[in-house]
Amino acid sequence: MKRISVDIGGTFTDCFIAWDEQLVEAKAPTTHYNLAQGFMNALRNGAEKLELSVDEILEQVESVRYGTTLGTNALIERSGPRLGLITTAGFEDVTIIGRSRQYADGLTPLEQANVSGADRPHPLIPREYIVGIRERVDYKGEVLIPANPDDIRRQIQVLVDRGVRGFVVVLLNAVMNPVHEDLVADIILEEYPTSYLGSFPVVCSHDISLKKGEYARSMSTIIGAYLHRQMQYGLRSLEMTLRQYGYLRPLEVVHNTGGLSQLSRTHALQTIHAGPIAGLSGAEQVARELEVENLVTTDMGGTSFDIGIVAGGGIKFYEFAPVIDRWRVDIPMMFITAIGAGGGSIAKFDSTHQSLEVGPESAGSEPGPACYDMGGREPTVTDADLLLGYLNPGYYNAGRIRLNPQRAVRAIRDRLARHLVASIEDIAVAIREVADSKMAQAIFKEVALRGYDPRKFTILAYGGNGPTHACGYAEGLEVSRILVPANSSVFSAVGGGNLDQLHIYERTVYIFLYHPNAGTLYDQYEELNGIIADLRERGTRDILRLGYKPEDIQYRVEFDMRYGNQLQLTTLVSPYLEFESPRQILDLIKRYHVSYGERFGEGTQTPQAGISINNVRVVSYVPLRKVSFQGNGVYSSGSSRTVNEALKNSRRCWFPRLGFTETPIYDFARLPIGEQVRGHAVVEAAHTTFVVYPDWTLRLLENGFVEMVRNHGKSVD
Amino acid sequence: MTIDVRKHDPMVEAEVQEFLRSQVLFRGPDREIMRYHGLAPLTEMERQAMMRTTDRLTKTVIRNRLQMIANESNEMLSHIASAPGAKWGDLICGVFTALGDLAIASSNGVLIFAALAQHPIKYILKYWKGEDTVGIREGDIFMHNDARYGNVHNTDQSCIIPIFHEGELVAWASSIIHEGENGACEPGGMPSAAESPYDEGLKISPVRVGENFQFREDLVTYFQNSVRDPKLQLEDMRAKLAACLRIRKRVLEIIEEYGIDAFLATMRETLEYTADEVRRRLAALPDGKTRIVLFADSTLRENVIAKINCTLEKRGEELIIDFRGSAPQFLNRATNTVLASLKGMIAQVFLNYVWPDLPRNQAVLVPVKFLTDEGSIVDCTPEAPNAQSMMTFFPAFTAVDHCLQKLLFNNLMNGNPAKASDVHASWWNTISGFIYGGYTQHGFYVGNITTDINGMGGGARWNRDGEPALNPIFAAYVDLGETELLEDELPFLCLSYRRLMADNHGFGKYRGGSGYMQIVTHKDTPLWGWMNTTIGSKFPTVLGLFGGYAAPTQPLCKVRGVNSLELLRNDSRLSAYDIVEIMNHKPFPGQYSTHHTGLQFEMVNPGEVYMQAQGGGGGYGDVLERDPEQVMADLQQGRISHWVAQNIYKVAYDPETLVVNSEETERLRKEERRARLRRGVPFQEFAAKWTRSEPPRDLPFYGSWDRPDEVYGGRPDVKMSTDSLQGIFMP
Repeated sequence: MKRISVDIGGTFTDCFIAWDEQLVEAKAPTTHYNLAQGFMNALRNGAEKLELSVDEILEQVESVRYGTTLGTNALIERSGPRLGLITTAGFEDVTIIGRSRQYADGLTPLEQANVSGADRPHPLIPREYIVGIRERVDYKGEVLIPANPDDIRRQIQVLVDRGVRGFVVVLLNAVMNPVHEDLVADIILEEYPTSYLGSFPVVCSHDISLKKGEYARSMSTIIGAYLHRQMQYGLRSLEMTLRQYGYLRPLEVVHNTGGLSQLSRTHALQTIHAGPIAGLSGAEQVARELEVENLVTTDMGGTSFDIGIVAGGGIKFYEFAPVIDRWRVDIPMMFITAIGAGGGSIAKFDSTHQSLEVGPESAGSEPGPACYDMGGREPTVTDADLLLGYLNPGYYNAGRIRLNPQRAVRAIRDRLARHLVASIEDIAVAIREVADSKMAQAIFKEVALRGYDPRKFTILAYGGNGPTHACGYAEGLEVSRILVPANSSVFSAVGGGNLDQLHIYERTVYIFLYHPNAGTLYDQYEELNGIIADLRERGTRDILRLGYKPEDIQYRVEFDMRYGNQLQLTTLVSPYLEFESPRQILDLIKRYHVSYGERFGEGTQTPQAGISINNVRVVSYVPLRKVSFQGNGVYSSGSSRTVNEALKNSRRCWFPRLGFTETPIYDFARLPIGEQVRGHAVVEAAHTTFVVYPDWTLRLLENGFVEMVRNHGKSVD
Repeated sequence: MTIDVRKHDPMVEAEVQEFLRSQVLFRGPDREIMRYHGLAPLTEMERQAMMRTTDRLTKTVIRNRLQMIANESNEMLSHIASAPGAKWGDLICGVFTALGDLAIASSNGVLIFAALAQHPIKYILKYWKGEDTVGIREGDIFMHNDARYGNVHNTDQSCIIPIFHEGELVAWASSIIHEGENGACEPGGMPSAAESPYDEGLKISPVRVGENFQFREDLVTYFQNSVRDPKLQLEDMRAKLAACLRIRKRVLEIIEEYGIDAFLATMRETLEYTADEVRRRLAALPDGKTRIVLFADSTLRENVIAKINCTLEKRGEELIIDFRGSAPQFLNRATNTVLASLKGMIAQVFLNYVWPDLPRNQAVLVPVKFLTDEGSIVDCTPEAPNAQSMMTFFPAFTAVDHCLQKLLFNNLMNGNPAKASDVHASWWNTISGFIYGGYTQHGFYVGNITTDINGMGGGARWNRDGEPALNPIFAAYVDLGETELLEDELPFLCLSYRRLMADNHGFGKYRGGSGYMQIVTHKDTPLWGWMNTTIGSKFPTVLGLFGGYAAPTQPLCKVRGVNSLELLRNDSRLSAYDIVEIMNHKPFPGQYSTHHTGLQFEMVNPGEVYMQAQGGGGGYGDVLERDPEQVMADLQQGRISHWVAQNIYKVAYDPETLVVNSEETERLRKEERRARLRRGVPFQEFAAKWTRSEPPRDLPFYGSWDRPDEVYGGRPDVKMSTDSLQGIFMP
């Protein structure tokens, strides 16, 4: 298998090449002016490691997979085109009001609570570019007020006169009957045919989502249209560059559904956050190969701490109304959440409790932690890590950033010590413990909300600061095992290399499996089968267009269900693709009962109030061969035969239960495979530092993973 | 043998006293519990725990974890509850001390609910703990909804469970939801037609409804039997219990990990530290008094002028909020407020509008002293109905918020030592959203309120405009929901929804956020009705600040005797998207009418149109200082009319291109400033012209006039002393 996957981040473009049995990682700085250049530079670096030319690689490679941040950047920079929104008259301010809560979607709890200071984000389509047309379709899809072509033409003209460069059409209940959305699109095409240079792109909401909810569907459609052209240019130019070097297959794009598709079958919206989600897919592969039942992934960088969950049994956690930037959308996206905790998180005095608080504010990468000596004055988690002895001032990020402990001391003294009446070292300990406990609690909440016991999970830690803090938050969670992937620093790219072709289609329905008033079980099997078949057909069509055979395709049917009138829907993976008997309906009800009870407590189910399906989802996918984590690691580690040979020196570090103590420092590059490093210890690698707490051991596995394990009750020191 | 009855016998005396004490006909609400808003006394267990636990770091970790626990259970509850209110944010979960003080509430949700759950817990402790037939045991489940025992109104139902550790009661967990339907004389849970507490539906004093972590089925059936929506009653009783059990489980995990002392110390200190921090922040403000008079303009049945008289005095570390001189209570109207409900609402001022960074617990009110007249509309007696208490405690909220802003302006200009959020004009303060009742298209009988109450317009800030349709004053970060999902479940047909209404906010240098229109009709049901419970249709209670305009009042409008849907389907010239256009141009045949916004439940026919607008926020600063380009932007976005641009903001511009003529604008504004001077009169002259010795005879005025210790009861000849208020009976 020959495969390339690339993940473009804000600072670095990561590249991961699976070249038969060889796995190679490479990096290059991201070139924002032309992403293809950074992409090719990273690829070139990887090619050098394989002692091949870029042309040789691209001519032979089977697949190039690409996770992009183009869309995220365009949203942040508001660099999309001027679009007009055509909606149902009377609903023109839906996206401006944003269900009222829009002001705080995507913000922290404190920002959510501060209504006096609330500011909505600047709209992607300002009010003056929104018009309403006279039309109405009801909840069943019946046309109540027919649309009038003359009225539509008039409103289109208003927008054209105001200078819009494209149209988004979102009409009420179009998911039940798109006749009016289609009519608007037809009229625009009639007025501005695509054969003319001045034609306008049109995106209708029912083509993006078949789910009810006009605000989230509007935002999904708007963001898709807003990013469309820019992403199209960026990705097409990348594809052209690859062609010049001999790669003639289609470029494959990583989707935030945790799947993959070709550029021609990709909406811009599906690419947002694709990088971290690809990392989560990599974690699924880790779980399978290393036979870990439950994994929680943690990515601790400079400003944020990302959490993802991989549970046993192939269960996937999606968010069905995720927030992108500041906008709530209604596309399914794999669940990943972030809290403001990272190396750059700022520690401040909490006057209310006369105590210490850490984050969510961050010093970012500029000026960065005080010890970076780049002008930062606020004490951060990294400053605490330095003063606790973990970080080597001369070997941080392989020596590329020199740390100044004096700056860290001064920041803590000036900002905290005068309030807290404690020593600098005690405050550094407190900063670390507060940060670690916050991360542990955030993981706990997310895992527990999904009905799992966090103590039964293994932590997969990546991101530059993960290995430095993993023992801390693992102890807070009572988790006993941590894995750090070999390719920790390019793990999203690794994940991208392991995705399947996958398309998800879903539709809002209103089906009572059990109707409490009528006292009946659902028996309209043809209706349900018809809905499933339609969604299956859409996915099949997408995949067949990519050149796969019908027999390659697999399907998963999911139902979002609820008791009575609950708002939130709980997903159940259906064991059936078709329905024909009451036994199947009863089976669904029983399965739902069990899964609901596990999640919210046995006895809290209320089937008496009715059991309904409100969303049907069909996942169509082609499982592709995976890059194996078994076998050849990418590390050159293992040069020593014993742990002692990897010992560099010792220094004074702080550890729970021991306080400050002389601590052995190991060189990761020389660590032997399979031998245990017993905590307390620090292991220095080029891009990260492993902090091994007392009662923990660290071991480099054959596959290049690092495993840290807690030995309960036994002192191994 | 004869008994000398004249002889004093201490034994007999004791027996007499015991007899009298034990003959309790009805315990009723407890005055001592209900009027106290301080912390419960420090228990010996807490004192010992605090002495033994000195590690601040551990306590910080526990406190963060408790916050996460409250958030987890609240999030879970919003997932699994069924009431429309709960689904879109009208709920909360909290952790309470063993003596019932709210130590930590979830970050989101309606804080006042949680703040008011302290009272029923304290009642349970006082009356049921030692009562043989009740008691408090591990696995017990209590609930309540009656505001006279601590609540906003009885449409909100609680679930309360004790948390025991090694046989000792160490904490309580509670979850509360605005349920809606509660079996009142009108559907939807907030009957403005109620003329006594007994018209208000289920009145649950704190009662044990389950044992061994399970509800008693006979009681569940009783509650279901008492309301119109038994499905909702069952679903949400179970959902709230699930949330409480989640809190209990997590609290016990904390105790297991850190020990009981660390837990108890953290709970208590969180309360004490919060009170101390509020004292410190109050101390950073200048001493002084600010005053405002507001009026609740309706009982929801008739127009009245019910005075909310508010004086706020900051003195050192203390804040005194004085509502004396407010209107007397209405004994047959539902707009009265229990004092505890009023206090709970004022806590919301502090925690969302002034100091959102403070921990969410009841101790924010510890440094605050409240002065009220018992028997007034903001401190009603148990005989007065209170299902619509919001109609008086919402304007009271605005009054306190407004007075505080005046104190906070100096603070802002001096570097914000009091750590306050932005200085702002008033938020829209009343629940402008329809209540509905009847059969749905799916055959269920329902009664509830729409989520539109969550879209109140925000007030202008000291340096920028207010945000439109932002949040209800009683909660942050809640949700209006989606119209398509609303119509999926209910027979609503929203003709115009979420469309901001022009001129519907307070004007100013910075303008308030606008409110949006709600034009509704219905179809596909055999039986449907609307109701509305909103004040502010005659007299603005949403104030401007430092020269900004108040927000305009809103009427309720109807078009009856017509099926608008049939006409709209068949006649392409008709439209129904704008209240002002509909009412001015009358596009359909039918009876057009406007009303105050208190509407009792009214059955309707399909296609009849009911309309109202969510209100806007107040303005800040002089309209003549507003940037003319901002005025043009407002015009372009439909936020204001040309009339307002020209006559209020005094901007000269080309109506076609919206290009400002700066010189002419400057001239118009100078002219207006001169005109103001001409209109102005010396204060004495103004006072002489406007002052009256008593309220005008044609004004239904309730409250003090010229003396704070004497209030009027609707007519000049009905007046009474504030220390012996008589309730008012409306005709």
